[in-house]
Amino acid sequence: MTLFETVFSGNDAVYGLTEGAINAAIEQHGADKAISFPNTAYSLPCYYAVTGVKVNTLGELKEALGVVKTLMTREMRTHDIFMSGVATALCAEFIEVLKYIDGATPYEEPCYGHLADAVIRELGVPLVTGDIPGVAVILGKAPTTEDAVALVKSYQAQGILVTLVGDVIDQLTEAGMKTGANVRVIPLGKDVTSVIHVVSVALRAALIFGNITPGDAGNLMKYTMERVPAFVNAFAPLNDVIVACGAGAIALGFPVITNQEGVSEVPKSLIVQKDVSKFNATSLEARDIKIKITNIDIPVAFASAFEGEIIRRGDMQVEFDGSRVDCAELVQTVDASEIEDHKITVVGPEADEMELGSKNNIAYVVKVAGKNMQPDFEPVIERKFHNYINCIEGVYHTGQRDMQRIRISKDAFNAGFRIKHIGEVLYASVKNEFDAVVDKCEVVIYTDPAECTRIRHEVAIPTFDKRDDRLKSLTDESVDVYYSCILCQAFSPSHVCVVTPERLGLCGAVSWLDAKATHELDPNGPCQVITKERPIDERIGEYEDVNEAVQKFSQGALQDVSLYSIMEKPMTSCGCFECICGIEPFSNGVVITNREYAGMTPLGMTFPELASMTGGGVQTPGFMGHGKHFIGSKKFMKAEGGIERIVWMPKELKETVAERVNQTAKELYGIDNFIDMVGDETIATDPEELVAFLTEKNHPALSMDPMM
Amino acid sequence: MPFNQKPQKFNANINTVEIGCGDKAIKLGGENTFPFYTFDAPMENAPKVGVEISDMGIANIPGIQNYYAGATTMAEIAKKAEAVEGADFVCLRLEGGDPNGADKSVDELIAIVKEVGDAVTCPLVVEGCKNVEKDAELLPKVAEVLQGKNALVLSAREENYKAVGAAAGLAYNQKVGAESAVDINLAKQLNVVMTQLGVKAQDIVMNVGSAAVGYGFEYVVSTMDRIKGAALSQNDNMLQMPIITTVADESWSVKEAMASEEDMPEWGSLEERGISMEVQTAAAVLASGSDAVILKHPQSVATISKMIKELM
Repeated sequence: MTLFETVFSGNDAVYGLTEGAINAAIEQHGADKAISFPNTAYSLPCYYAVTGVKVNTLGELKEALGVVKTLMTREMRTHDIFMSGVATALCAEFIEVLKYIDGATPYEEPCYGHLADAVIRELGVPLVTGDIPGVAVILGKAPTTEDAVALVKSYQAQGILVTLVGDVIDQLTEAGMKTGANVRVIPLGKDVTSVIHVVSVALRAALIFGNITPGDAGNLMKYTMERVPAFVNAFAPLNDVIVACGAGAIALGFPVITNQEGVSEVPKSLIVQKDVSKFNATSLEARDIKIKITNIDIPVAFASAFEGEIIRRGDMQVEFDGSRVDCAELVQTVDASEIEDHKITVVGPEADEMELGSKNNIAYVVKVAGKNMQPDFEPVIERKFHNYINCIEGVYHTGQRDMQRIRISKDAFNAGFRIKHIGEVLYASVKNEFDAVVDKCEVVIYTDPAECTRIRHEVAIPTFDKRDDRLKSLTDESVDVYYSCILCQAFSPSHVCVVTPERLGLCGAVSWLDAKATHELDPNGPCQVITKERPIDERIGEYEDVNEAVQKFSQGALQDVSLYSIMEKPMTSCGCFECICGIEPFSNGVVITNREYAGMTPLGMTFPELASMTGGGVQTPGFMGHGKHFIGSKKFMKAEGGIERIVWMPKELKETVAERVNQTAKELYGIDNFIDMVGDETIATDPEELVAFLTEKNHPALSMDPMM
Repeated sequence: MPFNQKPQKFNANINTVEIGCGDKAIKLGGENTFPFYTFDAPMENAPKVGVEISDMGIANIPGIQNYYAGATTMAEIAKKAEAVEGADFVCLRLEGGDPNGADKSVDELIAIVKEVGDAVTCPLVVEGCKNVEKDAELLPKVAEVLQGKNALVLSAREENYKAVGAAAGLAYNQKVGAESAVDINLAKQLNVVMTQLGVKAQDIVMNVGSAAVGYGFEYVVSTMDRIKGAALSQNDNMLQMPIITTVADESWSVKEAMASEEDMPEWGSLEERGISMEVQTAAAVLASGSDAVILKHPQSVATISKMIKELM
């Protein structure tokens, strides 16, 4: 039979039963007999939610059944399947309400049947907050009692609310398992129609929490699809009625997972999983449910208090040192089907198989998958490893990429800490902090020396090279959007950083990739997309879109900025700048000084003195704050001629940026060793002496057009 | 040349949020001018003044003790608070819930909320204990027990807005306070995520944070000023919620209002100092854009409500 035939036949069967039952009830009680579920203000909640009509008597119920009939179209389109599913669910509600005639109490311990509005208000809050991450509807009879118990327990452990329908209830009773709302396992009833009581919860939640107008079926289904994280686990054998009910669930956006073979699968909606022990993982993946990890399972503490802890050689059990032997740490984006969530593998010896005080290899590869994951986020995640591993009590970490160094203390080792626990920490931290982009995560830790060598040279280093190439190829022209950053507005209310690939935030801490990741992880946060579709002046880097964004994010305080000029509409500064650049009139160039340099500059001002006139979110032509990394950029005050204008920097800063500055100068102007033409405090802090030095070096700024 | 008045007209309004039920219900916000710029346009609703009471009993200040003399139960205290001259609403502060303080249980506090809720007929504002985890547990119960009273629940914060917002704003139809720490962007971000959760913008009142005058107060002025500016001149509807400020809390906890007369004889009466801090702070936040203030001392309440009347 096709899915159409199955659903239609199940729907027809239930409809027939319902019609019979209503007629019989009318015969017995009369059409004016009042009907209702106890403790709800929503009449027959499902029918009311879908149609907006309240049903109060048997006579009205019969009319309602006529409306249900109109849903049962048979035109062989998927829409007909869904609507027949909804019709089946409504019929089930009608059958169930008949059980409550005359204030009867049709359900007895442990079954709940209809759930009161108060229960929904109470469950609704943790559902909205994610404390209850999902709702499982388990239906039918598990292959064995052990399977039933294991499945329910797996959901319980994740905080998922479990509702039960049918024989599975008896299986749990038989195993002596506790049920009830307080343990988040709610047996509804033995009849398949009792499944409507959980549908009723979902629909009332939409009315209460979603402000959905009763009768607005389109938005109702949109709400349940987007906001009610429910799914169905239906055990084989499935009959037509169950499949028809399942179609109703799918119409509400709830996927059905079954172990029944031979069912025609519908991607993301009707999924066959023959192995019942995998129902949990399959269901969570199908419904996009992410479980918050509140407790990391390691034998020592994990807290930022341990971040600064240093482990001396004498206190050390074992160490791993990337500067001596092959090591690596790496995040890899993979397809979801390639990995198993929370799988942690150690390839090679564990810590207890390593000699006390020995130096060993380690390479850990954190494989992540997610719909919103992008390879650009890999280094952003990777950079956090240092912080994660350092937060472990008795473990210390420095360095990154293939140069990391880790020590595990004797105390931590004696408390039972092993290498696999590093995997636990990485897994939990990545899943928690990057939950917006990481859906699944698996960790492989290599300690086998040969494997570490392979991972380092054949996997990690090529990846790092690729990333570096990508960074080099990232130019302002090669991307479609820039990002705003308004993290500093708390103390500099009108400042807005426009972060581009070639101009990172002036604090030096927010690159374009960071801003992109921040935006993805926190869509309402400080970094927002700025388009760059309407250029005004390419020379100074001015765009209509950028100006509009700056006006918006500065609440109107700033009207226009240029990205590449220090003289015309320069970007503002908050106060966090790593460096300040200011014009030096005698030499026709600019002087840069950095926060760490306490001495005098040729401008006659120190860093703090310059800072006081550069910060505060105001435009000060001739001065700008910027990050150190920006100094080597081809876009550094491009409008005024670029880095050729730099005449002076503190010696230490010069050394830090020398390589990139020389490279850029060579590329742009064909000048070799440009940095040697730039003055510093050991050469001069007096403008006249500086000019003498520049003249001697034949510095290009001297012969350039005047800046003012 | 004659003076030609040119009213500053905005095509945007602060939302009007009603709190409480019946005759005594109050409306916060609604204005389309800067605070007290009645020469531009009449202010839709006068700013409101609330009286703070605490689950920890009556503050040890002679004037406050005198005013509440004879009141022993929370219901009696609440009734007295409601009768303070110039009071528009009562704010019950559940400071005893703080795990680092008295750490009263949720059940114990809810009993107090119920007692106070049943005792007063004026609008009720309930403020949590400021511990985000405890408030996430406590405030949903507060919203539940006050069903039908249209109370304002203070506050949802970035860390617990889902629990507080869902319970107060969605499940039990109360009004929700959105609290941030003196930063326009954080205030806006919280409003955005709260509305994404499903809470109606019209059900949100902002508590954008404050300080006592002299304690970094320029940040408060600038934040409120910019919020009102963005709300009115840029029609930013994620900043058009009225603002409520918990002044009592800030002004009675600074040294001017706490240092004893023995330690600081030259400063004069402690009570007068406290009232002075409270009145100055309240006047300043109202002038900066707050639509409601919460005060503790009956004399401060009377003074500020008189000030509002005269400025309207």
